[in-house]
Amino acid sequence: MAALLEVRDVARSFRGLQVLRDVSFDVEEGGIVGLIGPNGAGKSTLFNIISGFLASDRGQVIYAGADISGRSVPQRSRAGLVRTFQTPQVFAHLTVLENLIAGCYKHTNTGVLANLFASRRSRSELHRMHADAEAACEKFGLTAVRHRPAGKLPGGQQRLVELARAVIGKPRLLCLDEPSSGLNTGEVTGLMAALERLAAEGITILLVSHDMDLVKVASVIHVLCFGEIIARGPLVEIRRDARVREAYLGA
Amino acid sequence: MLVFTGLYSIAGLGVAFLLGQCGIVSLAQSVFFGIGAYASAYCTTQLNWWAPSGFVIGIAASAALAVAVGWPILRLSGYFLALATLALAMIGQVLFLEWDWLTGGTLGIGGIPKLSLFGFDLRTPQRFYYFVWPVAVLVLWLHANLLGARNGFATRAMRDAPAAAAVLGIDTHVLKVKIFVSSAVLGSLGGSLFAHYVSFVSVDSFTVERAINFLLLAVLGGAKTIVGTVLGAGFVTVMPHWLTGFGDIHPLLFAACLIAAVMFLPEGFGGALQRALRRGREA
Repeated sequence: MAALLEVRDVARSFRGLQVLRDVSFDVEEGGIVGLIGPNGAGKSTLFNIISGFLASDRGQVIYAGADISGRSVPQRSRAGLVRTFQTPQVFAHLTVLENLIAGCYKHTNTGVLANLFASRRSRSELHRMHADAEAACEKFGLTAVRHRPAGKLPGGQQRLVELARAVIGKPRLLCLDEPSSGLNTGEVTGLMAALERLAAEGITILLVSHDMDLVKVASVIHVLCFGEIIARGPLVEIRRDARVREAYLGA
Repeated sequence: MLVFTGLYSIAGLGVAFLLGQCGIVSLAQSVFFGIGAYASAYCTTQLNWWAPSGFVIGIAASAALAVAVGWPILRLSGYFLALATLALAMIGQVLFLEWDWLTGGTLGIGGIPKLSLFGFDLRTPQRFYYFVWPVAVLVLWLHANLLGARNGFATRAMRDAPAAAAVLGIDTHVLKVKIFVSSAVLGSLGGSLFAHYVSFVSVDSFTVERAINFLLLAVLGGAKTIVGTVLGAGFVTVMPHWLTGFGDIHPLLFAACLIAAVMFLPEGFGGALQRALRRGREA
């Protein structure tokens, strides 16, 4: 069976600086895949290419069997490929609940006119979105803060809001960019548990991180260094790899 | 005065919605206001058509223009977008003057008939008042609906974090164009009503200054609240009139009032009102 996500010979340079050199890797459906690398390895660039924020110079991104290189961010999202951001991007002036309601956008379909006139369909849809958002708050432990503006929450909770908002849209492949940055140890443990729960629900997770503790949850890890994948495999193997130790772990 | 407040509330709400919910500064509302007014004026005086045809044609023309212009310029953002809308207002002002076969140029178009509703003539300001305000309330109600529904949440999400909104599957460009069109429709509706109320339209009513006034009422009223728009419209209509009682220095006094309002009520009248209500509830 073909992988859910196939990155094929992706290259990208900025003003002559080659950031990615023909990077290829697969993400199989189900489970958690890690992508690690030191600062400046090209993780963010690769991540932006996969999620559609940046075009590659060469190569292809194949998702669910189709080349999505030319598709826009919303198109990828509607196909189930969703990302989060290194600095959480919550809708600051909306409450937590409203953030999650906005997350239901893909699975609802009333138009501006129907919304203006509060048609019956528009109202029942709103009712459903509300119920879904409440349920998601419950699931992610956000019920107590659901009526507070998301921008006023501490960083850890903003991450949870972002994660919950992505999950409410029923993603097939969830790409997380440094989800543990800014979290304390306790919060990281909570996040790891949450990720394993989501994986068990059938969501494939691609985890970009430099946090060695967090990537323990990944079954396969790809190590990116100076724009190339230098190693791949389970964490124990990666840790033994001489090139990885030299380039990344500094040991 | 209150009739004008109602008229400006309708057209101003379009600007306020763009500003407060989309984060888009539009200086082009005078153009859509003008299109509505001229459409009504032309249809009723030159073609002798039934009054509602002017409303419909104005709205259709405004919506078409909003799509044609909005599609390219809404790819811009921030200052550049604001400047693009300003350019539209300036072009509009020139065209309203130059296309005198349609607009009457500097002479304008007079003798626009008063509206009548089910055989009931709206010839006095009082009667018109009872027509404009229900329309204004209806428009406010529609926007309150939108704000609390799927596309309203999407709009506000896009304002706060455009990249994250795109990740949720929201096509931000298309949504912006839709909101811009609905804003233009409101501008045109306000313009048509204006034409029937004053029964004479000329270029002077659709200048860049008018566009700035619409933006001003949105800022003053507090663009994030819908009711604020009405308060803002009241302020920019009633205040200059009231201040003329102080003689020649009235523009200075108005300017001072504006500065004071912006300094002390950064979230506008609507925002201040909301805050006071919240405080009252908590106390």
